[in-house]
Amino acid sequence: MMVAEALAERLAELLRSDPRRVVLGEDVRDGGMLGLSRRIVADAALCDRALATPLVPASLIAHAAGLAIGGHPAIVLLHSSSALLEGMAALREAARIPWQSAGAHAMPLTIVAPTGPGFGLGSEQAAVHEAALASVPGLRVAVVSLPEQAVSMLDAAVDFTHDSEPVVLLLPRSIVLAERDEPLRHEPVTPVGVAQVVRDGSRVTVLAWGDTVLPALAAVRELGVDASVVDVRSLAPIDVDTIVNVARTSGRIVIAHSGGPRHGIGAELAALLADQVILHLDGPIVRITGAERPCAPGTESLATPSQQQIADAIERVATY
Amino acid sequence: MEASPWDPEGVEVVLGPNGTPTDEACLAGLDLKALYKHLVAARCLDLRLGKMNVPAWASSAGEEAPIVLAGVLAEPSDWIYPGWRDSPGVVAVSAFEDVATMLVQSGQRPSSALRVMLPSDTLGMHLALAAGHAHAQKLDGRRGVTIALFGEGLTTTGIFHETVATAVQCDVPLVLVCKSQLWPDAAPAEAGLLGDTVSERARACGLWSRRVDGADVIAVYMALASALERARDGRGPGLVEAVVTQLHRDVPAHRDPIERMRRLLDHKGLWTQTFQDVVEADIRARLEKAFTRAVNAHEEARA
Repeated sequence: MMVAEALAERLAELLRSDPRRVVLGEDVRDGGMLGLSRRIVADAALCDRALATPLVPASLIAHAAGLAIGGHPAIVLLHSSSALLEGMAALREAARIPWQSAGAHAMPLTIVAPTGPGFGLGSEQAAVHEAALASVPGLRVAVVSLPEQAVSMLDAAVDFTHDSEPVVLLLPRSIVLAERDEPLRHEPVTPVGVAQVVRDGSRVTVLAWGDTVLPALAAVRELGVDASVVDVRSLAPIDVDTIVNVARTSGRIVIAHSGGPRHGIGAELAALLADQVILHLDGPIVRITGAERPCAPGTESLATPSQQQIADAIERVATY
Repeated sequence: MEASPWDPEGVEVVLGPNGTPTDEACLAGLDLKALYKHLVAARCLDLRLGKMNVPAWASSAGEEAPIVLAGVLAEPSDWIYPGWRDSPGVVAVSAFEDVATMLVQSGQRPSSALRVMLPSDTLGMHLALAAGHAHAQKLDGRRGVTIALFGEGLTTTGIFHETVATAVQCDVPLVLVCKSQLWPDAAPAEAGLLGDTVSERARACGLWSRRVDGADVIAVYMALASALERARDGRGPGLVEAVVTQLHRDVPAHRDPIERMRRLLDHKGLWTQTFQDVVEADIRARLEKAFTRAVNAHEEARA
């Protein structure tokens, strides 16, 4: 089963569990570009809550925010995270409303969007916009890293029990179409804002998220080094406590992420660790990232660091 | 009385420049004195705010008819999404305390008994938010309507057209209320769009629309009531364009909606100078009390 199929099933269950919940998007009545609303429109009891809108990202996001204010938790299914940049003004507005209304208006708005390379299309369809999104005040941003956690991360992204701010859930394209031999299990739900240590170790700490977590785990296995791997998962807010505690233990840090290095989440984490862990560091903080420039179709692999590049970085830091 | 360059053409009119109604039937059932008090309250608030040096504040004197009537005609299940200039006027109807608190707290605003949303910080974004809120009301099926207020300058933006397209496609109970200036400052007439009015352009997009004289409170009332009734009955979104005149530009007295309304009351024998003095004194007293209370509460909170 593909991750996208598991998400489509779960989205239908989420609409069944809350009769006020709706999904929106340009093509959601046709199943959506990734097929994420396919199960919803196939169910006569749910299909009226798949709301097709014109392809107008700013208006679409604000429209969904209006639905959320009106008491209908809204899930927007976008064709690409680049649409979020086109709708940035609306995103900022939606994220501001819980604060601006002094808590009078929650914003149960979830936006699901594919990100990074994976479809082979290059250019914007391989671009990583996570840093721009994470810089929006009041917005929570999470990214799926492990295919088996995609469903539980969706559950976390639509849970507004304790937080009123909207959530962007990014789906790395290389993960969303990944085939799994077994049906995806429902993993325990970890709230947005919490990182996860997916491998324990004390010699080196690898901070990764999205489509670099699996290559990082493979690189550590291949090297046989005693390294911890942290799935950062939540890009806004960042789980400072978990990251600082793990980094302090090893004192040797590798940060791996897709997209270019400039002004990225990796730079933010490096600054955070320089600020809080400097006296525990035994070597430079090494960032290993994708290329800075856009990738042409067929060269998408440049957008993500390879397992070998991550392994080289770990070895360099481990032997510094 | 001769038409001035400030008098719009091609608009629906009920009250002549002297306040004489062209059709007495339009006045049936209206509490004209109560309407007049609401308008005077909005003007007094506008003058009060003008003395406060509120950052980025601009007077809405002359634009009161669509602003105040949105508040008057909204039912308890309705929501209003005002622009920054409209917000005080909409809530002036019954909640000076809200306005005072909002201004004293510089941005953040407590929840209100009135269903008036915060003005949007992003140009025109409140229109799309309002369309979404109207969609929620449609799904709820409780005949609620969302009203969004804005000026004609906003109709050149993408978000206006995106909102119209989405509202028409989703067939939501949204009423857009556009305050058009005939001769806007630093911009060509009708926002420079080749002479087409906002209502004509809205109609071309498939939106029901009416264009009325914004100095004529009764004409605005009739058009807005029709738009709200249509939306409430599930007959889709609509747009009311009220051609307004900003008073700071030395315009003829009959372009002032409050003065034209006063002339109507006078014509009907409902206005006296004593009535005017009592109305203004009452409003000013309530205003001062509200602002004093808000300032004291704010200072206590800071202490």
